Amino acid sequence: MSFSNLSPLLHMAELSLAEKGISSAKVILTGFVVVFAVLILLILIINLYSFIVSKALNNDKKKKKEKIVETKNTSPIPKPVTAKISAQEVENAVSEEVVAVISAAVASMYGSSEKVKIKSIKKSNSGRSAWANAGVLENTRPF
Amino acid sequence: MEILQGFMEAVQGILESSGILTLNWQNYVMIGVSIVLLYLAIKKQYEPLLLLPIAFGMLLVNLYPAIMAPPTTELLTAEQCAQQSIATSGHATTVINGVTYYENPTYGGLLYYLYQGVKLGIYPPLIFLGIGCMTDFGPLISNPKSLILGAAAQIGIFITFTGAIFLGFTEAEAGAIGIIGGADGPTAIYVTTKLAPHLLGSIAIAAYSYMALVPIIQPPIMKALTTKKERSVVMEQLRPVSKLEKIMFPVIVVILIAIFLPDAAPLVGMLMLGNLFKESGVVDRIAKAAQNELMNIITIFLGTTVGATASGQKFLTLDTLKIIALGLIAFCMGTAFGVLFGKIMYKATGGKVNPLIGSAGVSAVPMAARVSQRVGQQENPGNFLLMHAMGPNVAGVIGSAVAAGVLLNVVG
Repeated sequence: MSFSNLSPLLHMAELSLAEKGISSAKVILTGFVVVFAVLILLILIINLYSFIVSKALNNDKKKKKEKIVETKNTSPIPKPVTAKISAQEVENAVSEEVVAVISAAVASMYGSSEKVKIKSIKKSNSGRSAWANAGVLENTRPF
Repeated sequence: MEILQGFMEAVQGILESSGILTLNWQNYVMIGVSIVLLYLAIKKQYEPLLLLPIAFGMLLVNLYPAIMAPPTTELLTAEQCAQQSIATSGHATTVINGVTYYENPTYGGLLYYLYQGVKLGIYPPLIFLGIGCMTDFGPLISNPKSLILGAAAQIGIFITFTGAIFLGFTEAEAGAIGIIGGADGPTAIYVTTKLAPHLLGSIAIAAYSYMALVPIIQPPIMKALTTKKERSVVMEQLRPVSKLEKIMFPVIVVILIAIFLPDAAPLVGMLMLGNLFKESGVVDRIAKAAQNELMNIITIFLGTTVGATASGQKFLTLDTLKIIALGLIAFCMGTAFGVLFGKIMYKATGGKVNPLIGSAGVSAVPMAARVSQRVGQQENPGNFLLMHAMGPNVAGVIGSAVAAGVLLNVVG
């Protein structure tokens, strides 16, 4: 009784310092271990399921690819055609940037999981001359 | 003559109830602080969506403290009730010294009621719902290793806990202060309301100020810890993530975290629910409501009432200064550990990972990721780290929610 009455302050200070140390060590250790453990577990699970999903999707893709291959086989001259088209591209002077933009647009429409091949990009002729176009624009411009 | 006397009495009554006599110096200091914060929010646009309501709540509560007053019961004698024409039927009675008093309920202030959503931990998870609707976990799914960086940036939380303990805070208070290092406003508020509600004003204001200051605080630390070569690493393009993976992600995360760390379930659960709204693509209307209307409404309530916790008498203490200092340490530590683990990953992958993305491991979405992007571009203008940094950034949100769960469990 008398002991605890005499030195409560000293007693508390000593103990609380030790307690502080213990409690902070406890929190640091638990926090470090638990946070990393949970997130590493999450990494493993993500890897696992993305592996499974990609495998499942690949199976689907293989089926599609087989179809594509079949159609390719029926068309006898794939390579010369692309070469011709690229020559045409140069003639029509479609710049690389425009090609990139158009392919990006196509990719975003079809989604990145779909495999899409762009075979040609041609400037379409509207059928009107520049003068006729200007006239149409002039007459249809709202106010 | 009677009219004049009545007028004088009325003026006296108004004067007595006005702030001029009832407010003390702390209130006036806080009014000054809130005006400075309003200036920063409007003129400098530091996180104005939050800072403006916070500053105005602060202003209101210091002008009119009763706006945060809880409902009480006043004791009235039968005479007084009759005078104020209060119906006494149904009121409980207390007898003191032989006199019967009626317990007449009075109503609390406006912000007191709005504050209940903060106090009971309702608003932060709802904010997380909206954040979930806006978050794309794609970069994280395509590069799951960035979760390590999201975990590393939480180390600051636990180290700051130690600092707070030795500065004389209790365990629970220290936990709430440490969470500032998670750089996640809703999480900080959620944890603080559970562990140390009396510190809410200081902690929320420290957390949001540092989040607004991310672009100023982080770059020097990032540059000090990395070499020029490391900063100019160009990372490989991320693989595309299928829709199925994106849909499965929130479900899997919530199952995992709610089982292992139930304390984090309200925050992570709402975050993942929001994300499932978005990714499933079948509840477009709900997703839009959650990320726009609901989130905006909650932000108004949360901001104003959190600001209103900063009344002069509570806010102007030495503890607040300590909290602000500790918060800064927590924030810097989080950034530093994120970058250091980024360096480890740089070494481990043979130079494929740019350590700058590590600093995005503190949540502060998407500001921290933008900082990684900007610092990276200073070294190599053609380097686009943004999507790579979004991985650790959203991992940081999950990481700080997990850290919050740990703190609630260990010291709560």
